[in-house]
Amino acid sequence: MVRYLIALVACLATLGLVACGDDDGDGGGTEANVLEPGQAKNASGDVTWCIGKDTSGAFTASIEKFNQENPKLQAKLLELPESADLQREQQVQRLRAESSECDVLGMDVIWTAEYAAAGWIYDLTPVVEKYEDTFIPSTVETVEYEGKKWALPYNTNAGFLYYRTNEVPQPPTTWEQVYKEAREKNGLVYQGERYEGLTVDFLELLYSSGGKVLSEDGETVEIDSPETREALEFLANGVKEGAVPKAVTTYEEESSRRAFEAGKATFMRNWPYAYALGKESDIADEFDIATFPGFAGNEGAGVVGGYNLGISAFSQNPEAALAFSEFLVTPEVQKLAMEATLPATVTEVYKDPKVREALPFAPELLKAVEQAEARPVSPVYTEISQAIYDNVFAVLNGRTSPDEAASAMNSEIEEALQRF
Amino acid sequence: MGRVEPKQVVLWLAVAAIVVFCLFPFYWLINTSLKSGADLSGAALLPPTPTLDNYTSIFEDDNFTMALRNSAIIAGSVTALSLLIGSFAGYALARLHLPFKFLILAIVLSISTFPPIAIAAPVFELWTDIGLYNTYLGLILPSLAFGLPLTVYILASFFRDIPRELEEAAMVDGASRFQAFRKIVVPLGAPGVVTAGLLVFIFVWNEFLFAITLTSTPERRPVPAAIAFFTGSQQFEIPLGTISAASVVVTVPLIVLVLIFQRRIVAGLTAGAVKG
Amino acid sequence: MEAGAARLPRRRRRSVFRGEHRLGAAMLAPSLAVIGLVAAYPIFYAIWLSLNEYSVITPGLSRFVGFDNYSEALGSSQFWDAMKTTVLFTVISVGLELVIGLAMALVMHRAFRGRALLRAVVLVPWAILTVVTAITWRTIFEPELGFVNTMLNTLGLPGGDIVWLGEEGYALAVMIFADVWKTAPFMALLLLAGLQGIPDELHDAAKVDGASGWQRFRRITLPLLVPAITVALIFRTLDAMRIFDLPYILTKGANGTETLSLIAQEELVTNRNTGLGSALSVLTFLTVMGVSFLYIRFIGGNIRALTED
Repeated sequence: MVRYLIALVACLATLGLVACGDDDGDGGGTEANVLEPGQAKNASGDVTWCIGKDTSGAFTASIEKFNQENPKLQAKLLELPESADLQREQQVQRLRAESSECDVLGMDVIWTAEYAAAGWIYDLTPVVEKYEDTFIPSTVETVEYEGKKWALPYNTNAGFLYYRTNEVPQPPTTWEQVYKEAREKNGLVYQGERYEGLTVDFLELLYSSGGKVLSEDGETVEIDSPETREALEFLANGVKEGAVPKAVTTYEEESSRRAFEAGKATFMRNWPYAYALGKESDIADEFDIATFPGFAGNEGAGVVGGYNLGISAFSQNPEAALAFSEFLVTPEVQKLAMEATLPATVTEVYKDPKVREALPFAPELLKAVEQAEARPVSPVYTEISQAIYDNVFAVLNGRTSPDEAASAMNSEIEEALQRF
Repeated sequence: MGRVEPKQVVLWLAVAAIVVFCLFPFYWLINTSLKSGADLSGAALLPPTPTLDNYTSIFEDDNFTMALRNSAIIAGSVTALSLLIGSFAGYALARLHLPFKFLILAIVLSISTFPPIAIAAPVFELWTDIGLYNTYLGLILPSLAFGLPLTVYILASFFRDIPRELEEAAMVDGASRFQAFRKIVVPLGAPGVVTAGLLVFIFVWNEFLFAITLTSTPERRPVPAAIAFFTGSQQFEIPLGTISAASVVVTVPLIVLVLIFQRRIVAGLTAGAVKG
Repeated sequence: MEAGAARLPRRRRRSVFRGEHRLGAAMLAPSLAVIGLVAAYPIFYAIWLSLNEYSVITPGLSRFVGFDNYSEALGSSQFWDAMKTTVLFTVISVGLELVIGLAMALVMHRAFRGRALLRAVVLVPWAILTVVTAITWRTIFEPELGFVNTMLNTLGLPGGDIVWLGEEGYALAVMIFADVWKTAPFMALLLLAGLQGIPDELHDAAKVDGASGWQRFRRITLPLLVPAITVALIFRTLDAMRIFDLPYILTKGANGTETLSLIAQEELVTNRNTGLGSALSVLTFLTVMGVSFLYIRFIGGNIRALTED
């Protein structure tokens, strides 16, 4: 009898463990702790920076400089995988387990709201406001959520229109013109596969015509609008009328770049990274870049990319993390990064002559970032993006009409916002 | 002088077709690993400017070498352990009288069909709590759990086919059950042991999900996860060259292993399938 | 034992086998312990997860919703599309692997020199990392610059401008091709082993009786190969139904290649929808189990025979 009782209690205990396993840390979302700038003053100890692979060498160089100038502090790099998706998985995994392994998180701008809502990063409003004037305004947009600022913009990114100078003497000033010339000449390539890149390419068009995904307060969905339908129709016609090759629906950044470099297209939409690579390819002297042209009679717009620095709520040394993050956004360190081709978020860096030498298109890059907008800052951004790219992809393939796609996007995003 | 029969020609053509079919992508891997730059995704059957750069670059830092070592340790341990305890279980299921044997075997087999993706996060949290995160043991245990069902099934099939009389004769001579198992059944079941061993080894060697979820530093990261950290020299670039070079380096020892044991594998794959 | 010999009375049997019970339990214990601790606990936890809804906004916040996640999954067209795709892929892929594998096995069965080397060659596809083969095939089938299209164009054959991975139908075909490539050789080896188990005398006797090659194949070879075919079918079907790497890398699930594992991963990892993702995983698991039972029932695996006393 006693044995059965013990067994029963053991079973219940296990069930209890399993059931209660996830229920700690309830409702920690909006009551996150705030870090003040002064707190970094007497920081000491170790700081671990979790960010993707250091392809440019800028991360390691910055860390070395920091360690030299701050003898009481020791920063080190914990490299995450190459792909952004895997980086996010690795970060989220640790954050959900409340691990203190990462102090400073290198977050893709689109993850900021997600981390903030989950209570995984500190509220850095006073810190960001201290440096706000030095940043390009559109980069600060990406850290704003629910009226607070959650991260320091570290580096940024904005797309360009690449064009072949031997086929197109002057870059067109409207997308309509781009497509017309693409039809007559050798076509336009962009990132049309069913992934985040397509959302970016679509939003660049939509933002230009003044369309929106969410309302200002992020509460209502506004994507089912005449602007959206117009943009979708425009994209669909692009493929239908031959301005854009069908292959575009399998292209990511690299495949479109390779197609452009192999001479298979007159125009390409891509990030700045392709510039340096293009200059080493066969078409080195035959291409140039321009900021995005306008659409539907409006100014050109773009989408802000890049990485922000968040401080993990589970860090055991948030003061040191703060000191390190502040260091990384000082003009000097930003210059270092930009010379290694990581676009800075600090405006004055773009005017520095040495930077201009390293990156001849720095002025265009500044303009591109300034005219860009942030993607919807929401904790359910991945689902919003999915709703967008699923439907835009279907339109490109001719499987849905622009009207159907617009309303599908609307209802799917509404559903996403309902998630509790 | 013998005439070449048309039948022979057809046979040789078929053989050639099989070889090309099986080896072409491997050839393509080698081909790509010797290319660089824009050639990487091109269609050239031979590298336009062959270079060993990819091979030197993967060995530039220690990470890939460490990954190879990690994979060898983990795959080796899992194989050894799985053969050891799997052979016990296989024998028990095939030979000994036990209640609920079919049920046990069915449960064991069905566990290996559960999508690993759903249990990666629970295992990660459990391991972090008990300190097995980023350790060899932390990777050995899940791979073992997923490799055991297959091992047990194959070994059970093999042991089943060994005539009982041999064991009975030994027991009549005074050996215990366990001794009969050790000295007669296992040696006779060697083809099955080798088969199961090779299958488990390759399975663990290829395993990606747990590898990337349960490790965080190059000191413990196995090869498939390490490849996910390869980068091209620029953002967005899929480093086809280095990935191909790494795969060639990783596959060649496997092929050598297989060549050495291939006769055993085939004999091994026979017994369980045919007689059963 | 002669037919009709009496079995030991029940009491005697139990006492005779108690020693075996103990040894059996001891021999089974390590395996069951490992599997139980490492796999069973997380599986039960995952099943528990599928019965709750977890907040995406506020981690740690959850509510018990019973089978709501399951009804959401079963009611979504995406789930059934994925089910259709997975089943279609499995049936075609495994079928082709069987036929091609059998053809390869028959060729390899003919005695000739170099057979050992051929067997090693045939294992190469299976030995290369799955993720790497997927990337390789993706590159080979790239539009315009990839090997396949360049070859077709150079040889003047039609199809040089097909965007393989960009069209419904073609994308699935490429996926099937890549999967068949990887596993048909493995099937071939299994079937070869089966072929080698068929005594030559049977064929010789049939030849003497005037049977043609085809008749011998149908009446002797095939029937005796059934056990080998069954084992091969079961394992391959289980794997094919859970395929993930290939569609993820080739197309990210676009153009009619979205499989059950892909949507489970999308909900679980990308959308952090733990409840729904776990439910999808459980549903995948149940489907796979269902198919295995069907096999065992109708084609008759040798699994039960394994454990008969």
